[in-house]
Amino acid sequence: MGHEKTLTAFAAALAGASYVYGAGMTESGVTFDPAQLVMDDEWIAMIRHFTRGILVDRDTLGGADIAAVGPFGDYLSLPSTYAHMREQSQPRVMDRRVREEWEAAGATDMYERARRRACEILDDHQRAPLDDEVKARMRAVVERVDRERGGASGR
Amino acid sequence: MTPDDDRLSTIGARPQMRLEVLSAGDIDAIHAETLTVLEQTGVFVEDDAALDIFADGGARVDRETRMVRLPGEVVEAAIAACPPDDGAPVRFSNFDEGIMYRDPRTGELREGRTADAAASALLVDALGQIDDYAAAVRPSDAPAATAAIHGCEAALLNTSKPVGAEATSGWEVRVCAELAACVVGGLDELREDPIVSFGVCPVSPLKLPRDATEVIVESARLGLPNCILSMAMAGGSSPVTLAGTLVVHNAEVLSGIALAQLTEHGASVSYGSSTTSMDLRFAAASVGSPELALIGVAVAQMARPYRLPSLIAGA
Repeated sequence: MGHEKTLTAFAAALAGASYVYGAGMTESGVTFDPAQLVMDDEWIAMIRHFTRGILVDRDTLGGADIAAVGPFGDYLSLPSTYAHMREQSQPRVMDRRVREEWEAAGATDMYERARRRACEILDDHQRAPLDDEVKARMRAVVERVDRERGGASGR
Repeated sequence: MTPDDDRLSTIGARPQMRLEVLSAGDIDAIHAETLTVLEQTGVFVEDDAALDIFADGGARVDRETRMVRLPGEVVEAAIAACPPDDGAPVRFSNFDEGIMYRDPRTGELREGRTADAAASALLVDALGQIDDYAAAVRPSDAPAATAAIHGCEAALLNTSKPVGAEATSGWEVRVCAELAACVVGGLDELREDPIVSFGVCPVSPLKLPRDATEVIVESARLGLPNCILSMAMAGGSSPVTLAGTLVVHNAEVLSGIALAQLTEHGASVSYGSSTTSMDLRFAAASVGSPELALIGVAVAQMARPYRLPSLIAGA
């Protein structure tokens, strides 16, 4: 579910593949599972994060901060921490909280959280609008081919 | 070491990480063996129209056995005719195409319907890491003869991301192109902005069935991208050794690419792989296996000297 996807997608991404496909698939391709798709979206974010590598420059080496903080301070409130915090990986359905907090939040497993996320998307998300005229033209094409080849549309 | 430049490394700016499992010599050896297979053994081609295109293009065609033998120079010329890969960063897409669908609201496992194809496309539209949609489920509630068309309509209505349509005939390619042309304003516009693409699978070992050749020929004529994706299974439909499997895989994909280029010089094609090993204990394809991962890396490497975009089974 997670391990196998990571093995194969990570390897292909690191090999410089142009396209990697298979998100949402389970059972060697028999079943398409929206919850698996949501989980795969998250693995892919991690794979992409890794392939961006480590940027080494004057800013990222952080010499001035290291000197200022020394051995007894911390880095939590530094401007550089704030400036770079959004570059961190931020999984959404993987839960990084400690056990007590996870239990207090309902102790759901990853699949359940991904399934709920899929339902939320289906309830809330909308495609960028298409002209009604475009939709009507597409419908006319489908109705035409159903008449020509399909017999009755639907069961 | 004292840094004397703001930019000490280019790693972060442009990833140069490259995982490799084949040496340059390995790739040359696989290519040479592939040319020998294509020239001496050849591939079986089911359809007469495809046999005609191969014959006109310089292949040796045996009409009796429907075997097509491709001289090395025909294969090399076909590879050279392909539009070169643009080197863009990796893109991810969903799986194409499931027979069953797991309904996220009810947990029910059932045959896919048109509404499920629509839901899958809408999910891909929303998810930030999935770049392209591929026909995720076959609409079993639509008439069988037009199910792929219903699936394509559902996709285009629910995502503005590029759509990999399911087609197993030249007719389906034409109708899906007609649907996509409604969105972009015409077939010429579609050629410029190909929001729909196709994919075909040879049948291992070494067969190009009619559905594959029809889709290859029709998408080349319409100027729409097509992926030729082999699904060899080491130990079952190709040699048990991964090197031998890569030869059969490569022969199948290159024969399809040759047909595309002989149909339309410069046709947009990509080099696909869902090739893996057969788990000989269960006689089942091993997906999510180290073998599939190794083959995926090897295929990405092999596509590079051909300057072809690679499409690899993975996520």
